[in-house]
Amino acid sequence: MNPVKKIVKPLEVLVIAGKTGKVTVKYPFEEPLVSPEFRGKIEIDPAKCIGCGACVNACPPNALEMIESEDKKTLRYFVGRCIFCWRCIDVCPVGAIKGTREFELATNDPMDLYDYIVHSKVVCEECKHPSSETARMLKYVWEKAPITENYNNKCPECRKKSFIKAVASRRAGPIGEKA
Amino acid sequence: MEKKLERLKKSIWVFHLNTGSCNGCDIEILDALTPYHDAERFGVKLVGSPRHADVLLLTGPITLESLPKVINAIEATPRPRIIVALGSCGSGGGIWHDTYSTIGGVNNLLKILKERGIEVDAVYYVPGCPIRPEALLYAIALVKGLVEKKAKSKVAVVE
Ligand code: SF4
Ligand code: SF4
Ligand code: SF4
Repeated sequence: MNPVKKIVKPLEVLVIAGKTGKVTVKYPFEEPLVSPEFRGKIEIDPAKCIGCGACVNACPPNALEMIESEDKKTLRYFVGRCIFCWRCIDVCPVGAIKGTREFELATNDPMDLYDYIVHSKVVCEECKHPSSETARMLKYVWEKAPITENYNNKCPECRKKSFIKAVASRRAGPIGEKA
Repeated sequence: MEKKLERLKKSIWVFHLNTGSCNGCDIEILDALTPYHDAERFGVKLVGSPRHADVLLLTGPITLESLPKVINAIEATPRPRIIVALGSCGSGGGIWHDTYSTIGGVNNLLKILKERGIEVDAVYYVPGCPIRPEALLYAIALVKGLVEKKAKSKVAVVE
């Protein structure tokens, strides 16, 4: 390579750089470029959620968990484990979950990553123990498929028992009587 | 402690610690170092040894195979040391959180470190699968105190 070319060659890079201009983004001091298809954190609307747990079943990494206690059902969302697949949005029967484009979730406190929705369980009319359902779940089922008063407001166990009793009595008379 | 961390705020040198990630997050780290996102604006430099690092960028759910090496790397990092757990895997175990071959994220690692008396000065969690390069830039800006923390726990009680 002749010495003139040796000097001129690197200068060509400057011309190319001048043509391209500055590409570096200013983020975090400007709005990030986020495409409309981007999937970010989900948001659960506590006013709509009925506590059915469909999203918990669908969630691949168990970022959504239903924590059951004696009379409470708590839906816990741990964003630190969420893979932003939005499967929960597809399965929620009441459309309580909304996808956002939020991704600025970094924190130094792990407790910031948890969201909770606390539901109360209804009390079974028959056995007076808290049922596994919430009042909103019963209302939802009632609206979709009305069932008789006998079965509403009962826990699944008592409902099963009374259903078996009803079927048995129709087939073979009331339970306890010999046919 | 705060004063010690204050010293880091000039330029943070990072060591990329892959603990069995799927390489999604690792590619995004490289993305953040390209001229387009340019993490070097904040003085971030990728170093080849944990002995030179201030911050460990931990990706992956920490497989049992990598655990001893991870502990060695953290031990080799000079104080004050910061772990930035990247991705759903790093910060919570991700889809591998309960599998047989991983310990499930940085929280379980911290328990093991505590048992062994290895101290970590700060831990940052960066959710995402994979993280966006901007999410990493945001985390770095958060470490340096340039942006406000947005994440906040929400508790709602219904009926
Ligand atoms: S987006 Fe996916 S990972 Fe996140 S909570 Fe919903 S189902 Fe779970
Ligand atoms: S699927 Fe919808 S309604 Fe059911 S628990 Fe999840 S958020 Fe609530
Ligand atoms: S968080 Fe997602 S992209 Fe990152 S290492 Fe884990 S599985 Fe891969």
